[in-house]
Amino acid sequence: MSGATTPAEQAAPPLYWQVQRRRNGDLFGLFAVVVVFLAAYGFLFPGFFTLPGFAKFTQSWFPLALVAMAQAILMLTGGISLAIGAMVSLGAVIAATTMAGPLGVGGGTAVVALAGLGIGAATGLIVVKLRLPAIVVTLAGSFIVGGAALLILPRPGGAVPMWLSDMLAGNTPVAFLILVVIVVLWKIYLATPLGLAIYAAGENPVGAYRSGIRVDRVLVSAYAISGLLSACAGLFVAAQTGSGDPVIGTAFTLNSIAAAVLGGIGFLGGQGSMRGALAGSLLLSLMISVMFFLGFTPVAQYVAQGLIIIGAVAIPQFRRKR
Amino acid sequence: MATDAPYLAARGVSKSFFGNPVLRDVSIELYPGRIHALLGENGAGKSTLINLLSGAMPADRGTIEIDGNPVPRMSPAAAQAAGIAVVQQELSVTGSLSIAENIGLGSYPRRFGIIDYTELSARAGAAASLVGLHEPLSMPVGNLPLGRRQMVEIAKALYRKPRVLILDEPTSSLSASEARILTELLQKLKGEGVAILFISHRLPEVMALCQHVTILKDGVRTADRSIAGIDADGLVRLMVGRDPGDLFPHWTTARSRAKAIVIKGFSSGLIREADLEIKTGEVLGIGGLAGQGQEDLLLGLYGATPAETSAAEVNGNAGLPRSVSQANAMGIAYVPADRKREGLHISHPIITNLLLPGFARAAALRLRNRIKEGEIAKGLAAHFAIKGDLDRPAQALSGGNQQKVALAKWMPHQPQVLLLNDPTRGVDVETKREIYIMLRQFASDGKAVVLLSSDTPELVHLCDRVVVIREGRIVSELQRADLSEQAIVAAAVGAEPTVTAA
Repeated sequence: MSGATTPAEQAAPPLYWQVQRRRNGDLFGLFAVVVVFLAAYGFLFPGFFTLPGFAKFTQSWFPLALVAMAQAILMLTGGISLAIGAMVSLGAVIAATTMAGPLGVGGGTAVVALAGLGIGAATGLIVVKLRLPAIVVTLAGSFIVGGAALLILPRPGGAVPMWLSDMLAGNTPVAFLILVVIVVLWKIYLATPLGLAIYAAGENPVGAYRSGIRVDRVLVSAYAISGLLSACAGLFVAAQTGSGDPVIGTAFTLNSIAAAVLGGIGFLGGQGSMRGALAGSLLLSLMISVMFFLGFTPVAQYVAQGLIIIGAVAIPQFRRKR
Repeated sequence: MATDAPYLAARGVSKSFFGNPVLRDVSIELYPGRIHALLGENGAGKSTLINLLSGAMPADRGTIEIDGNPVPRMSPAAAQAAGIAVVQQELSVTGSLSIAENIGLGSYPRRFGIIDYTELSARAGAAASLVGLHEPLSMPVGNLPLGRRQMVEIAKALYRKPRVLILDEPTSSLSASEARILTELLQKLKGEGVAILFISHRLPEVMALCQHVTILKDGVRTADRSIAGIDADGLVRLMVGRDPGDLFPHWTTARSRAKAIVIKGFSSGLIREADLEIKTGEVLGIGGLAGQGQEDLLLGLYGATPAETSAAEVNGNAGLPRSVSQANAMGIAYVPADRKREGLHISHPIITNLLLPGFARAAALRLRNRIKEGEIAKGLAAHFAIKGDLDRPAQALSGGNQQKVALAKWMPHQPQVLLLNDPTRGVDVETKREIYIMLRQFASDGKAVVLLSSDTPELVHLCDRVVVIREGRIVSELQRADLSEQAIVAAAVGAEPTVTAA
């Protein structure tokens, strides 16, 4: 495919790793805050350092991590999704209604994944082909998908096989390992032309188009992946609770945006990175737990959470102005 | 494939935007081993022609040919496959990606479907060193200053090993040494048989570099000839050549000795250290190529963007307005160029638009007097010949009538200084004439009119005086007696008044 042209003189670290290191550069502050909160969490809850404690913590983080990634992909394209929570609910009810039936766990997982990919791709096609704002399309999508979840399972019920719940939400860090696999898959996707083009298409769509990038295809793929991640988060939540709840995902819409914003993803497209979004989701998850251990009332938690998000977003702004 | 066919050609292409013809029946042929200049004033259609040649837009009529074969559906991907690379004026780089990732964007080397960073590093590095770009390839382009980003853009075009290289004003943001590197590079590529199309406003550069020139004027090709045997003056004449007709009202000065605005050492936006006196009763023109800081001058005077001066006087008050409402109170009104977004609220009724500045000043918590409002609006409409029902939304009006509303709304407040930003852009000829008569009328009423215009004939025929701005500085001040299109364009492009024939 690629004929060797010039004799390449290899610089010490290859280009790929240099690029990766630069992407970390902006995030040291965030990583430092995450480490401080991790330490606080470990101090307040020493069980964190045991395997079950670590497993439980990563399980509480896992769905938020997935929806933060789902949101971050779309924000990198210059879009946003208000349908993430509804997709989580749909994934949960599909899992709870199919897995106990003849399809089994494998079939049910496939249905969840296909629903996520399909609905995501359809949303992307509407946004791209009709040139409608993502926020409006996904707002409408949140009603449609949320309605569909209620049609499938009008009240909490259904079931997920016990062994699946034990595997995903038991005392072993399987969820964490799955997250590691997902992150690796994302890194591979971002190393393909289609993946890396998300940045170009999000920040400068006209320039990307003129560079010969098929912007439409990049965006539809991003929406499909986003849908897949959200639906899978739903599957996990169903496994965690052992059953399906048609409105369980609602809080994830705004939390996914909060996590992405905490992680430095900009609203204008092409700004930020997935590792930032993941760190943001981890921070949000830690904040909630730490405030819980410190005995904040739920109401005070919400207020504190909001203030911290505004602070986190404002600090880099101040730094940039100077 | 016939070797004497041009690599890339347009045959009789036309293009209109919203019914405005931008290109009419234009042909151009790019041959290997030749640097071809494309010249024309602002809005002559150069960028549109490039967009057609590179497949970024389809032509309404006419064909694009590659190697003598017509291409039915030209697209950026097809252009890329044919070895056509474009260095755009509006940069197409992505700030969050690294230099190498930007250079390779759209044609990354791949291994097993994944970007081959080793190969990319070698090839992008080779392209970068051709243009003297020695920053680390992993650096995000967003960290580079504008001139270096332009070099990334050029490296990106070279990375594709183009047979046809199109450069749209590549030197406008480059330093002198960067421009020299580019010039040498283009000479080298020409030697290697690349067909090059070079768009620039810097005539000395064009004269030194190019062998052939195509000139556009109002979307029509006015010249297609060898550059040998023509000098910079001749090129300027071809760029502006047209008879002004009887579009303009008879000119008599109404200029008085009284000063409306005096600024010394004025800096705002791109404008640096400008000194200017604006007299009452004069129409002062502001000329120059697009984006040299002309708009910043108006906005700074209007208090809309921060400005600094060493001394300033406005209608007898010391100091510049610090805000728009202060400017209005000092008797300054501003009519923006973009009437759809800045000048008017186009989805609202004409009458609301006409009265809006009045609402801004009305005492709060006092009931509106609908009858009086109606009378004012009707008076304005009659005076400015704005026809039809004033309750229709402003977007129902033609561009020319919208512009009249944008002008008329200031009149009840008796502004002493009118700052007009390209008031006739996209306006039909008939309304243009009406606006010209109004401008002269304002001046003879003793107002000071500052007319920023991209239309050079307008500056010549309406103004008492024209200042030309280049790179944020007032480079020339032309009195009525010295005004000509040649003089203005020459000052705008920095051509010396007399150039010895090449």
